[in-house]
Amino acid sequence: MEMIDLKVALKQTGALTGRELKHWYRIKIQLVLAFVQPLLWLGLFGQAFRLDALAGGMGGGMPIELAFGGAPNYFSYMAVGMLTVIVLFTCTFSGLSIVWDRRFGFLNKLRVAPIPRGIIPMSRVLAAVTRALLQAMVVLVIAVAFLYVPGLVGLDITNSSFGAMDLLTMLGILLLLSLGFAAIFVAIALTITNQDVLMGVVNLLNLPIMFTSAALFPTAIMPDWLRSVANYNPLTFAADGLRQVCFENAVSIHSLGFDVLGLAVFSLIFVAIGIVVAIKVLKY
Amino acid sequence: MSAIIEVRDLVKVYNGSIRAVDGITFEVEEGEIFGFLGPNGAGKTTTISMITTLLGITEGAIKVGGHDVEKEPTEVRKVIGLVPQELTVDDDLTGRENMQLQADLYDVPRELAHERIEELLRLVDLKDAADRFVRTYSGGMRKRLELAEGLIHRPSVLFLDEPTLGLDVQTRAVMWEHIRKLKKESNMTVFLTTHYLEEADSLCDRIGIIDRGKIMALDSPTRLKENLGGDIIEMTVEGEGDFSNLLAQACNGECNPRDGNRYRIKVRNGELQIPRLLRSVTDQGGQVLSVSLTRPNLDQVFLEYTGRSLRDAEQSTVTNRGERMAQARQMARRR
Ligand SMILES: Nc1ncnc2c1ncn2[C@@H]1O[C@H](COP(=O)(O)OP(=O)(O)O)[C@@H](O)[C@H]1O
Ligand SMILES: [Mg+2]
Repeated sequence: MEMIDLKVALKQTGALTGRELKHWYRIKIQLVLAFVQPLLWLGLFGQAFRLDALAGGMGGGMPIELAFGGAPNYFSYMAVGMLTVIVLFTCTFSGLSIVWDRRFGFLNKLRVAPIPRGIIPMSRVLAAVTRALLQAMVVLVIAVAFLYVPGLVGLDITNSSFGAMDLLTMLGILLLLSLGFAAIFVAIALTITNQDVLMGVVNLLNLPIMFTSAALFPTAIMPDWLRSVANYNPLTFAADGLRQVCFENAVSIHSLGFDVLGLAVFSLIFVAIGIVVAIKVLKY
Repeated sequence: MSAIIEVRDLVKVYNGSIRAVDGITFEVEEGEIFGFLGPNGAGKTTTISMITTLLGITEGAIKVGGHDVEKEPTEVRKVIGLVPQELTVDDDLTGRENMQLQADLYDVPRELAHERIEELLRLVDLKDAADRFVRTYSGGMRKRLELAEGLIHRPSVLFLDEPTLGLDVQTRAVMWEHIRKLKKESNMTVFLTTHYLEEADSLCDRIGIIDRGKIMALDSPTRLKENLGGDIIEMTVEGEGDFSNLLAQACNGECNPRDGNRYRIKVRNGELQIPRLLRSVTDQGGQVLSVSLTRPNLDQVFLEYTGRSLRDAEQSTVTNRGERMAQARQMARRR
């Protein structure tokens, strides 16, 4: 092993992350789509599916707050979970650029440069994290803004002492979540050389990850076997943590500390795996 | 002079069966332009990939600037620049952004990078186009940007894999000019590969003739040509009998066995021998229908050492067509 100069490595990572982000924000339509999709979801799921009515049927007249983790209504419950889903969906494509770069020889240009191999996946991960957090914040603002549109339900943050620290906690939770997911999908992309196969794998994974979590639906309505899986899905950790920050008297699955710890372990493991895979795959 | 690249008994076997590089040994001297001349599929890119740490070695050893490529790849990477065969500049960035990215990857300090980027963009005539997206560049412009990128960290060895592949004749000449200028201004070592005879001939101090993974000859272009033993005179003669012995004696050269009424004579100072040959044939009652004189060139060198002409070798390579198509795609491409 050769020594890595951290300062130089940071500069190199910054340069490559910047390249990724330029590719993203320079394509205007991509920007538009990135925000239209979650908006559609907020509209369809949140406004059209008024699951509040069903809550009464669950467990025989369960109050809404209990059914939806302390959220005052389904939309508020779902909008917070949607932040985690946006992170998941943004990160699933974090590795796609590696496939392109391999195809067009750019990857060899990176491999022949005196840079630590881990920088190649890490720059994609960081770019995906940046995009995921930006998109999540925009959606958060829009969901809250719905409150002020007559006839629409909005995200009602009932935590009366909600402040800057809480917002930072939310960002921290989403950061850990996106680190982990981006690393998984970059590691997958490193081992797959065909973009169609990669898309197939991505599509195979993202919906099951979403539906086996407490992101959009309470795990209480799931069968026992599924709930025991769903309760340890990183999306559940994140959504559960976010709801505890947002809602007064939140009814949580885990404690906030456990959620954050779970996310930290999750992201650490997958970032490490991503780097190890990169060193192996990019050697020759 | 000391060797900056040392290659010993290098072998590359792909997929357990394709012997792309078949035991080659050579050295590249510091400051020279060294070239590999060979047809498509000869093993040029494979060799460069191993020297530049991109590809694992099956057998043998390589040192660049004293560093073993397998044991100290990062040290090797710091001192080399690679301009790959395919175009790898980033279409979605401007020319200048591509250069800046490269400078950051090689840890060139900002101020210095700024200076060098301007200087290199001027060197390759891309100053006016520097702030345009690379996707608007022509193939030749892309290749020149690629060359400039390879120079951003002042490498001690620059690798140029087929620097003019797919370029038209004028653009090719421009590229050659850039490479020559570069050579004059710095004492950089250049290792290039090509399957163009003129390119090897006009640019390289020394050439390795490579075919089917083996180095068949290695020397300066002048010496390689001299070693052929002279000019080639081809004659068509009508008349009774075989004139080959007569022709060989008349000029003190060598004459191949006749091919119909065609004769091929290898002799030094061919232009002085032609009158003598004509006279001897006429004296013996023959009639000369045509004469041609060919100076020794690398095509003949290639023929001499590999048993086939470079053009034939190109056509017999099955991968050739595929590579051309890939090249065309590269040019037309992307995203
Ligand atoms: N990745 C690969 N897998 C299998 N065979 C390869 C690979 N790359 C090159 N080859 C084969 O190795 C031989 C040498 O190729 P290459 O080094 O690209 O030749 P050149 O650069 O001289 O045209 C060719 O027969 C080619 O088909
Ligand atoms: Mg080649």
